[in-house]
Amino acid sequence: MPLNFRVELIWQDDNANEAASIYLTSDGRVMLQGRAVSAQERKDLHLPADADMISVDRKLIRAIKDML
Amino acid sequence: MFLRNYWYVAASVDEVKAKPFGRIILGEPVVFFRAADGMAVALEDRCPHRRLPLSMGKLVGDDVLQCHYHGLRFDRTGACVRVPGQDMIPPAARVKAYPVIERYKWLWIWMGDPALADPSQICDFHWIDDPNWGAKGDYLHVLANWQLVVDNLLDLTHLAFVHETTIGNAALVEHAAVKVQRGPEHVLVTRWIIDQPAPPTFVKVGKFTGNVDRWQIIDYRPPAFLRLDVGATPTGTGAPEGKRVGGISMRNLNAITPETETTSHYFWAQAHDFDVKNAELTDRIFQQIKLAFLEDVDVFTAQQRLIDLNPAAPTIDINADSGGIQARRIVDRLYAEEQAALTAQRTAAE
Repeated sequence: MPLNFRVELIWQDDNANEAASIYLTSDGRVMLQGRAVSAQERKDLHLPADADMISVDRKLIRAIKDML
Repeated sequence: MFLRNYWYVAASVDEVKAKPFGRIILGEPVVFFRAADGMAVALEDRCPHRRLPLSMGKLVGDDVLQCHYHGLRFDRTGACVRVPGQDMIPPAARVKAYPVIERYKWLWIWMGDPALADPSQICDFHWIDDPNWGAKGDYLHVLANWQLVVDNLLDLTHLAFVHETTIGNAALVEHAAVKVQRGPEHVLVTRWIIDQPAPPTFVKVGKFTGNVDRWQIIDYRPPAFLRLDVGATPTGTGAPEGKRVGGISMRNLNAITPETETTSHYFWAQAHDFDVKNAELTDRIFQQIKLAFLEDVDVFTAQQRLIDLNPAAPTIDINADSGGIQARRIVDRLYAEEQAALTAQRTAAE
């Protein structure tokens, strides 16, 4: 499958620590990298059971604020 | 919007001679000359008497600049040392002196607080005078804001459209994965175009007969320094993994200095790491890139013309703008910080 134009954004803090990547795809989506929230975590934390959920590092939130 | 506490390229070293010449830098008139001891000097290019550019004057003795209008003389520190027809020199009779340094065949100037001028902060452009590289540079006067040039260099998808006869082709747009890394004071844009035809200039210079793996790695440092690591190798030979063999590797080096809000000084050079002693090759590569850059200048000029016509006309952003957007955000933050520091200084002085 041919590669379409795609942009990966990486944010670094003052100590060159990197946040997880943010991907801008050619079809207009923004994709974030995180860890899937397990069924047990959803139950324990009273989170919605029927949606796809990920937890992300706080550096990624900073990256979103700064870069998007 | 100008950042002042940075080193900028003011001239090529060859331009600075005993005969004074003037150039506007960050909206300030500056006169340059070379003193008898070989040192370059930069002073405010405005006589405090009747505001004639001192660059219309001449050097008297080793390092004294004489105004063309009424003959007031200024030494290399900017102090007035003679007023014809009177013994008393008014205390305010002096012009600003700017720190300057010659490096990488360019004259660098510090336009901000002289106490903060640290030569170690000069951006590295060693490829220009490194014997392991062949290099040639030039100067372009651009009738456009400096940030339009930065935008251009951080988004190389334009190569496919503006430079289709030289360094661009469609593969740049349709088959690229772009990575944009942003730190506190830098942006690094990396893009690989894998297993695609080489653009016309690369075919001429690199003699490629088949598809190539091509890279463009753009290193941006504020205010406006862009160092591009570009090249290509025959596809599948391992360049993405760091094995650059059988191809060509070049550095495109750019230093943009604001002249005014709508005009810029554009210093650039092209360096190559193959056949480095071949001056004819160095010139051939330089001419190809210059051709492309002149195409860019036409674009900047046309953009600025429409910006001047209606600065509030709306614009949109696309994915390819990511590098330029990050650079502008860094500049906005640094400008806000610089202005806040200036305000604090003024408040403390009152």
